[in-house]
Amino acid sequence: MHYDIIIIGMGLSGLMAAKTAVEMGKKVLIVGKGVGSLSLFSNTIDVLGSISNKMTLIDILSQWIKDHPKHPYAKVGLREMDQALSSFTSLFPPPYSFQTIGDGNWLIPTGVGTLRPTYLIPSTMVPGSSLKEGNGLIIGFKGFKDFYASWVAQQLKCRGFTLSLRDVFRQEITATALSRLIEKKGFRERMGREIRKHLKAETCVGLPALLGMNDPCSAKKDLEELIGAQVFEIPVLPPSIPGMRMFNRFKIWLIQRGVTFLLGYSVSKAILEKRRCEGIEVLHPPISTSYSSDRYILATGRFIGGGLKANEEKIFEPIFNLPVFQPKSREEWFQKSFLSDSPHPIHQAGILTDPSFRAVDEKGEWILENVWIAGSILSHHHWVDEKSREGIEITTGYMAAKQALKYEARGAGHAV
Amino acid sequence: MPSALYRPHGFAVNGYSMNKEPWSNKNADVCIRCATCMAICPVSRVTPLFPGPKQAGPGAERFRRPDDPPVDQWIDLCIGCHLCDMVCSSGVNISELNLIAKTKYLDEKGRPFRDWILSQIHLFSWFGSLFSHVANRLLRSPIIKWMLDSLFSIDRRRELPLYQSPTFRQWFRGNPTKGNRKIAYFYGCYTNTNEVDVGKATVQVLEANDFEVFLPPQRCCGIPMLSNGDFEGARRLGLWNIPPLLHTIRSGSDIVFSSTSCGHMIKHEYSHLLSIPGAEEVAKHLFDIFDFLRNLKENDGLNTKFKALSLKTAYFAPCHLRSLGIGLPAFEILRLIPGLQVDPIDADCCGLGGTFGFKKEKYEISQEIGKDLAEAIDGLKPEIVLSDCEGCRMQIRHLTGLKVLHPIQILRDALIFSKTE
Repeated sequence: MHYDIIIIGMGLSGLMAAKTAVEMGKKVLIVGKGVGSLSLFSNTIDVLGSISNKMTLIDILSQWIKDHPKHPYAKVGLREMDQALSSFTSLFPPPYSFQTIGDGNWLIPTGVGTLRPTYLIPSTMVPGSSLKEGNGLIIGFKGFKDFYASWVAQQLKCRGFTLSLRDVFRQEITATALSRLIEKKGFRERMGREIRKHLKAETCVGLPALLGMNDPCSAKKDLEELIGAQVFEIPVLPPSIPGMRMFNRFKIWLIQRGVTFLLGYSVSKAILEKRRCEGIEVLHPPISTSYSSDRYILATGRFIGGGLKANEEKIFEPIFNLPVFQPKSREEWFQKSFLSDSPHPIHQAGILTDPSFRAVDEKGEWILENVWIAGSILSHHHWVDEKSREGIEITTGYMAAKQALKYEARGAGHAV
Repeated sequence: MPSALYRPHGFAVNGYSMNKEPWSNKNADVCIRCATCMAICPVSRVTPLFPGPKQAGPGAERFRRPDDPPVDQWIDLCIGCHLCDMVCSSGVNISELNLIAKTKYLDEKGRPFRDWILSQIHLFSWFGSLFSHVANRLLRSPIIKWMLDSLFSIDRRRELPLYQSPTFRQWFRGNPTKGNRKIAYFYGCYTNTNEVDVGKATVQVLEANDFEVFLPPQRCCGIPMLSNGDFEGARRLGLWNIPPLLHTIRSGSDIVFSSTSCGHMIKHEYSHLLSIPGAEEVAKHLFDIFDFLRNLKENDGLNTKFKALSLKTAYFAPCHLRSLGIGLPAFEILRLIPGLQVDPIDADCCGLGGTFGFKKEKYEISQEIGKDLAEAIDGLKPEIVLSDCEGCRMQIRHLTGLKVLHPIQILRDALIFSKTE
């Protein structure tokens, strides 16, 4: 089957690329081995959290791009970054919308009781940004092992309390099961009443991010009325419920617009001819199905999902065998200490591209003229230290699609 | 660390490497414990009795040794939806690990007679259809349902599927088709005796696309047996089914199926799980009916002379359709019908799980999972719900009371003027 564009990878960058292509009226195939990192991370949108929150993000970025010309942000450009982030936020209309606070980075509480800077925050987490010493009550659930309220509260210098509710008592409960219970009115009422009993002078109540997969804002509103304080979600260990909300929203939006959404299958082969990709094969034993397009986006992520693979000596990219920019030797991959102040050089490894997001060799020439690279697989960023993961994924996914759709195949050797 | 995967009755089992390719059977080791499978598992979402795919599959696998007694009392709560397999970025074949563990557990603990009944329904079907008036009255009778509940633990709250007469085969014999190309149809037990119009619609749509349809010799595909851990029984049916299908494709015809569960069984499980010779070759020429129609459309060969159908419908993608890895071809084709509103339903598993939801000890789990689907449907307020799997159709009717059809029936209505019965 033939498509206008084929996107390999179903993480945030692949999904953004698909959204961008669909909005340009194209016939899109997106294939993903799994749901991407959305189920693992907190899913607030980090753009550049490492810079202090005294300035607006635009000002921070203007300077950052000048100082880091090889960074993915420099290839996207400030104006397009803004458009990409707007495109993302438009997918989440109120009530579950993504907001900035003061146009800069803001600190929100994490599941280990620290404060983390981020830029776009879902409305269910926003009240956490005004958490101060003593004004919050942190609530956990007995049986839910991925969040320890008393410990988190201690770190945040607030009070913490662990609820024992009869549905959960003495059993273990998973994140999805607890989230589902919170979506039921009866459970919420009991929960709200219990929390109210323990509330003293606090003005906000922090809960693990489980306010429901489908309608967390109604759950939040209900609880706020029952408790008499603002309620906010705190991201916890995987599986990330807010992350799955994001994935589900993209999925249904793309399917409604006719995107072929192949979740659960990996690309077993890319068919390359000279400097073009002519097709991909997706293997689902015993059948191998071929798909073709004039344009491909590689958004397969880094090591967890297998977008980049490492053996003892080298890091390589398994689908197109693109050269991976990496430290010269294995010894140089890591700093001496795990929590070193300097970033680990391996995190900067990735696919080197030109400003059009196509992979280039040492001479700066395209390796494949119709394959664009997006997301965390790109080189020259340190997302952990920069706190820039989602920003890179969203903006490069958007931009790679825009660039790819400018391309018209004009026969071998000629490319736009 | 177990040195070998338990092999039920000597079957070789191929796992998937990180690239979801056939690999050796040490696959549980690539699990990185990321818990993504936990985010999607419908069973662990509704009951604490099932520890979830991470624990039940690769987690427990590290404790399973071929000679040790099983520790998996909860293993039969895995509904077999394959959703965990699809979201796993490491390529662990979790539901397969569960199925094999379940088979071992049942081999040692013994299988309830009830499971045998539920997996052998195809043996009674011709009888049920022949005496459908009597059979249906019995199946509806509260006394009979109470007996089935008490004696065999088949939950009395579940509506039992009713029989129709004449069967699809009988109708087909009296209504031969004409066309320029030939195509074979694997209709499946349920279509033959319980939902004949699905078979009729499939045949009518194929004829409207200039195909002459024929029915190769076929029996139950065996999926009820496989999902109840009866590899031997499923294999016997597979060994019976493949030779006539192989003959069909070698004579130059493709084969289509309208039941995504039967299709998934023959296309994927027959070869790598049941090692049936010839299955791989058949799989290459076996297509879901809407996948087949979509391919016709790609080559400008699809009859798109649709009349307008002014209906508000919602489409539910069955688990077995998702695990066929072909996307949602029914949804793509239905969008071509003028006037038809088709909303995709944002829910993953209907909760019936084939025979799973008929069992007394699993009925409530099945219904809890189904509640999420019912809520999603309620949000869309459709007149008709469409789904390619007979199990999902049964469950959606049971949950909502709405009219539920196979999308091929709507397509037939748009192409031909006979109404859906």
